[in-house]
Amino acid sequence: MPALILTFLLLFLAAPAYAMHISEGILPLGWAVAGFAVAAPFVLLGLRRLNSLAKEDLSFKPLVGLMAAVVFIISCMPIPVPTAGTCSHPCGTGMAAILVGPLVSVVVTAVALLIQALFLSHGGLSTWGANILSMGVAGSFAGWLAFRLMRRFGAGLGFSGFVAGVLADWATYLTTSMELAAGIRGDSPFLPLAWKIAAAFVPTQLPLGILEGAMTAGMVTLLWKKRPDLLVKMRVVGGEGSPKARGVGFCALLLAAALSLASINPRPALCAEKWTGVDEAVVEKIAKEHGRQAHRPLIDTDQGDLLLFVFLLAGAAGGFAAGYYWRMLIAEKGKSLNPAKED
Amino acid sequence: MHHFTRQPHIDHPLARIDPRLKLFCACLLLVMVISCGSVGFPLAVAAVCGGATLAAGVSPKRFAVRFAEPLFIAAVVLLLKLLFSGHTPLWSCRLPWFTLTVHREGLLEGAVIASRILGTVSLVALLGFTTTFTELMAALSWFRCPKGFVDVALFAWRYLFVLFDDAMVVYHAQRNRLGYAGIRRGLRSFGALSGALVIKAFDNSQNITTAMVQRGYDGDLPLLSHRPLKGREVLASAALLACAGMLRVL
Repeated sequence: MPALILTFLLLFLAAPAYAMHISEGILPLGWAVAGFAVAAPFVLLGLRRLNSLAKEDLSFKPLVGLMAAVVFIISCMPIPVPTAGTCSHPCGTGMAAILVGPLVSVVVTAVALLIQALFLSHGGLSTWGANILSMGVAGSFAGWLAFRLMRRFGAGLGFSGFVAGVLADWATYLTTSMELAAGIRGDSPFLPLAWKIAAAFVPTQLPLGILEGAMTAGMVTLLWKKRPDLLVKMRVVGGEGSPKARGVGFCALLLAAALSLASINPRPALCAEKWTGVDEAVVEKIAKEHGRQAHRPLIDTDQGDLLLFVFLLAGAAGGFAAGYYWRMLIAEKGKSLNPAKED
Repeated sequence: MHHFTRQPHIDHPLARIDPRLKLFCACLLLVMVISCGSVGFPLAVAAVCGGATLAAGVSPKRFAVRFAEPLFIAAVVLLLKLLFSGHTPLWSCRLPWFTLTVHREGLLEGAVIASRILGTVSLVALLGFTTTFTELMAALSWFRCPKGFVDVALFAWRYLFVLFDDAMVVYHAQRNRLGYAGIRRGLRSFGALSGALVIKAFDNSQNITTAMVQRGYDGDLPLLSHRPLKGREVLASAALLACAGMLRVL
């Protein structure tokens, strides 16, 4: 029953049109600083990319500034959420990430969030880092990766935009839930509260994500119909994969989906039975026979969540590197999409 | 968005203080408030900043609108904490399906978070009302904030209202033609509105660049130049921070 009340209250929390960001003052100092620390490298990388692109094209900085204004305006527009019977607002980061790339989109989001915090009390200065992390980093990268993957699999522009918008929105809310749980948990355990908050957001965010997907799809389609040159200039179109690459990508996606399903719902028999590895079954046995028992390790990674934390860090670093060099690894090799450059 | 309008001109001594000092003091006070584990200090900051904002000539209605959302969030967080945190029952009420219990620890934790929200929001509101965006960006630049970020923020601020007006024209035209009658149609209209805004942003950026290059733009925007810091203002800021620090420690 308390979970139901929590869901109800959080639905109310999400009900006004300004529920996208963590409000000023909610996060304690430690978590606020952590938010800044994690978001800062992404903002700096985004600025580096912005500066390098602005050197090639003087109009790029004004364009990014205007994109920030567009994201600001879109994230202030209320749109109806049918299941919640209320209005909420899209974040617009998926759209920005598709057009200017995920790193520059982080800068765009940071600017929009700063203006909202200062002049609308929507979000905040102390929660700026955490909001950049959820809306800018998680939203942009999720949207951009989804769009690129869908295009690589041969999906149409509209559908790819739809998936990008949906995932950008949901990634933003999932990250916001985690940050909120960290900020308000007090003595309560973190993960259960985080899942409760995420679950409580579902009735509003599930349809809102789909609405944002539809909006992003509409935007990309309109651009394709009216100004395809802009999509070519921003490298949104072109560079789609070959049929072979599409097949490989589709298989990889299926495999990833199967693996994630398997990890979510492991078979009880497998869980109950503990599998012993070679170390335990062979090496440890022989060492024991020869009087060479194992010492306690200096850093015991089996204690607490240390191993999980290390894997998480490695995963985050690896994921970021893969995302950052995605174009270089897979996308257009030596093929310029800018007709002016080819000339 | 309906309450987001151009910054009003405020003629008050607070608005004339050097923006670098205001930004520095605001950041330090923010840190003091969010690191505070009690209710008193954040509420004192909220009272002082709220009073100063009203004294600076901001209308109570405008101030209330600015506070509506954070107040609502503070109330919900307080309620959540009351019901779901802590173990010492303070008050309980038997309902047909379950017993609603308010906990002592939850009340304390919730009050701390709610007071932090009020304190920080009033502080940032005071900063936002008494400092123009251009001044804030110049101050940020003085504090070595990356130039690219400041430039993009200034472009965004400059063209925000232009794009907003364009968006409103398109939105009202769509509404008048029943563009938002029904969810499906509304979504299509909203997608078209976003697309139209992006196209306008692209076109405007090209036009702005052409116009600015003709006026000598080479990739760097000139910022406001700061006057030298006044000793009196620095001393007053130091005194304010010292008082706040003492209050915070007490």
